[in-house]
Amino acid sequence: MASVILKNLTKCWGDFIGVDNQSLDIQDHEFLVLLGPSGCGKTTTMRMIAGLEDPTDGEIWIGDRMVNDDLPKDRHVAMVFQNYGLYPHMTVFDNIAYPLRVRGTPKGEIEPRVKKAAGQVELIELLHRKPKALSGGQRQRVALARAIVRTPRVFLMDEPLSNLDAKLRVTMRAELKHLSRELKITTIYVTHDQIEAMTLADRIAVMKDGIIQQVGTPDEIYNDPASLFVAGFIGSPAMNLINGSVQDGYFVTTGGTKLVAVSVPDKPDVVLGVRADDMRISEEGEGDIDARIYAFEHTGEATLLTVQWGTQRVIVRGARHLRKEQGEIVSISLGSDHLYLFNPDTGKRIRG
Amino acid sequence: MTGKQKKQISQAIQIVLILITIFVMLVPILWIFMAAFKNHIDVFQLKLFFTPTLENFGTVFEAPYHLGMKLWNSTIVAFVTVALAIPIATMAAYSFSRFRLRGKTAMLVVILATQFMPAVVIILPFFVMFRDVGLLDTRIGLVLVNLAIVMPFAIWMIKGFIDGIPIDTEEAAMVDGSSRIMVIRNIVLPMAAPGLLTAGIFCFIIAWNEFLFALILTNKDAVTLPIGLALFKAEEGDLWNLLSAAGIIIMLPMFILALIIRKYFVQGMTMGAVR
Amino acid sequence: MRDNTLKYLLVLPAILVVFATAIWPLIESLRLSFTVGRFSVPGSLEQYLGWENFAWAFTQEPAFWNAVRVTAIYTVLTVGLTTTMALGLALLLAPGGKFRAGVQTILILPFAMSPALIGVSFRFMFNPEFGLFDAFFGVLIPPLADVSWLADPILAFAVCVMADVWGWIPFLTLVLIGGLASIPQDTIEAAQVDGASNWRVFKDITIPQLAPVLAVVIILKSIFSLKTFDQIFMLTNGGPGTATQTLSHYIYFNGMKYGQIGYAASVAWLMVIPMIVLAYAYTKFVFRKD
Repeated sequence: MASVILKNLTKCWGDFIGVDNQSLDIQDHEFLVLLGPSGCGKTTTMRMIAGLEDPTDGEIWIGDRMVNDDLPKDRHVAMVFQNYGLYPHMTVFDNIAYPLRVRGTPKGEIEPRVKKAAGQVELIELLHRKPKALSGGQRQRVALARAIVRTPRVFLMDEPLSNLDAKLRVTMRAELKHLSRELKITTIYVTHDQIEAMTLADRIAVMKDGIIQQVGTPDEIYNDPASLFVAGFIGSPAMNLINGSVQDGYFVTTGGTKLVAVSVPDKPDVVLGVRADDMRISEEGEGDIDARIYAFEHTGEATLLTVQWGTQRVIVRGARHLRKEQGEIVSISLGSDHLYLFNPDTGKRIRG
Repeated sequence: MTGKQKKQISQAIQIVLILITIFVMLVPILWIFMAAFKNHIDVFQLKLFFTPTLENFGTVFEAPYHLGMKLWNSTIVAFVTVALAIPIATMAAYSFSRFRLRGKTAMLVVILATQFMPAVVIILPFFVMFRDVGLLDTRIGLVLVNLAIVMPFAIWMIKGFIDGIPIDTEEAAMVDGSSRIMVIRNIVLPMAAPGLLTAGIFCFIIAWNEFLFALILTNKDAVTLPIGLALFKAEEGDLWNLLSAAGIIIMLPMFILALIIRKYFVQGMTMGAVR
Repeated sequence: MRDNTLKYLLVLPAILVVFATAIWPLIESLRLSFTVGRFSVPGSLEQYLGWENFAWAFTQEPAFWNAVRVTAIYTVLTVGLTTTMALGLALLLAPGGKFRAGVQTILILPFAMSPALIGVSFRFMFNPEFGLFDAFFGVLIPPLADVSWLADPILAFAVCVMADVWGWIPFLTLVLIGGLASIPQDTIEAAQVDGASNWRVFKDITIPQLAPVLAVVIILKSIFSLKTFDQIFMLTNGGPGTATQTLSHYIYFNGMKYGQIGYAASVAWLMVIPMIVLAYAYTKFVFRKD
């Protein structure tokens, strides 16, 4: 078990910059999620930690050792791959035993440890099967068991749930969380799924274009986004972004409607971010702004209203029993608590 | 006519055309098979029914034909060619498949292009050199030149198979604690085994059927089966019953091998160009 | 060992083999083509002659031009016939099902046959006294009943083409079936729903999408047609006269039978040039995806 420290890490392929001079401290026992859209450099960062990719520049420390020049096998990390990377010609037992065997673990020790790991992921009955005869979820468990069978210093997980169907993903997510709390091993987890990140992480590092945009607890990332990108990336439905300006202590939409009071100095160009949950729906004329319903959706546990004024569309979450028709006019109110202002040019948050 | 009737008629025409094709494709082969079991006299009549005899298969192994020696030469040459080509090609194919190499594309293109050079061009210098160093009419000499036609096929085919092995699996093994050599031995070779077998069989067939090199380089001791076909000429003309028996000995093993790898046969010949 | 060293060590033996067995002989052939190069004259393999071998082929050798003509006609005919017939057969067999899959398996057999043996069997089939095809054509086309196929220049050439087409149709068919299978079925279904006739579907949807595979097939077949030697050697041995003498056969005869290695090498190199063009076109297609 160990901390992982990245110092000014850079990876380039020719002119293309995959990871751009990034530093990050991951504490011992911490569950850190690297979150971002595809091509943001999160997987590259993880692969450099595993030793599968050589950094162009910068240092990687695991515990108190700089591992830049160590081969993957000498870094004492365990990795779960997106496509699992199971050995198709070996049984489940041999798959799980492989890391022990190549490290020269005494024969007598292998079987009990494989059985223990298999037990932790509920695979005991399948040990004699080959990967081909397993379902996606079972393969996922074999990959997990292979990672936990030895005690690595760091777990690396590269989109481990992305090949599972939606239902199984939720189950496996809970199992992963349970397992990680139980094992208390430093874990770095790569995903593009913000729900996975929110539910699993102690801290999330949001990446874009090879740059870490923000590092923080799920709570901080969700409630205190540092940039337009983070604000738009986290949350479902995505945060509404409304263009406008700040005049006399009020946010005014591009169309000229005075929307809500904000506590920042006047500024011509700003973007107001507000989540679907942080707005209220009322009858026409009762709220801050009237808008026409563009689409009304019913999700079961709530309703989603897409409303439009001018060219601006905004999604608002409504009560479960609310019933409206497309084309009706409703009024929207914004609470003053959860409003976020951003500079549209730099993408940075404007704080009051 | 209804749509259904039209469909049925078109189906029937298709079946007839396919049957004609099979007939044309198989008749020469069947004709040889029949001739091989005919006696000298039956061959000269277009007989469909005759009393089969195994006599021809005995005769071809006797003097003056000694087909046994040619069979032995063909077997040895094809085996040794494959035994040399496959390991060397596998090493290269793995490297080409997995690593960025300086000049990789150029190397692969050149390897592919050598495949297409006319065999007569390649054989002239070899003939001159072999004459000087005494490798004419030897099996070793034949193996060496056979490598020229077999290696490009083997490299490209095996590279195709290794490309198909998910890289995840290898990386998992490396993180699990294997060195690169161990990865190749424990993971890549077992997973590529069917592909290596296929490539091996494919190269065996090529080496076995090879004609021009053997025609030019051998005359007595190292003569292979295809060249042996030229033996069955007598003053009164070709000895078709013996030729056919020899033909069966040449083609039957190849038919069996080709059927074993039939799934990959086409892929092998076009070397990944058509997928 | 670090991968950076290992990766070059792994390719080294293969590169050495390819160099020694293919590159070196090509270069050495080129050198020989500029020498006197006669087996009967000691030291002549090192005796520089300049361009005279090439000049000789172009100006003094009707037989060379004959071989060029034979090879060219042979290539055009075999490529054209094999490709169209294989395309037709591929379309017949592509729908799949047990029967058609079985036929596909049978098609592998002729391709596993050595070209030399194909040559032998066609000589057998066209034997004037007891050849099966000879008899068959005799019944079908009465004027051909009494001809001796391999003794007539044009008919012997026709037999060579037939043998070639027979030997290559199976392989090209299988390649084209693979190509047809890789065409997304929904594009064809979309066209059918849009109201296109079978012929329109074939012309507008299938052929354009099959074009790259067809191109590969044509290039590949051209290469092998240009090189043809084995079956000609066994079937007609270039005869009657030089009616079926291809370039490969011409080179073989000059080099091996007459001992004119230098001259043979220069003609061989004249043949290498179109090969390089075709091989280049072929590799373009192979690397198209990268």
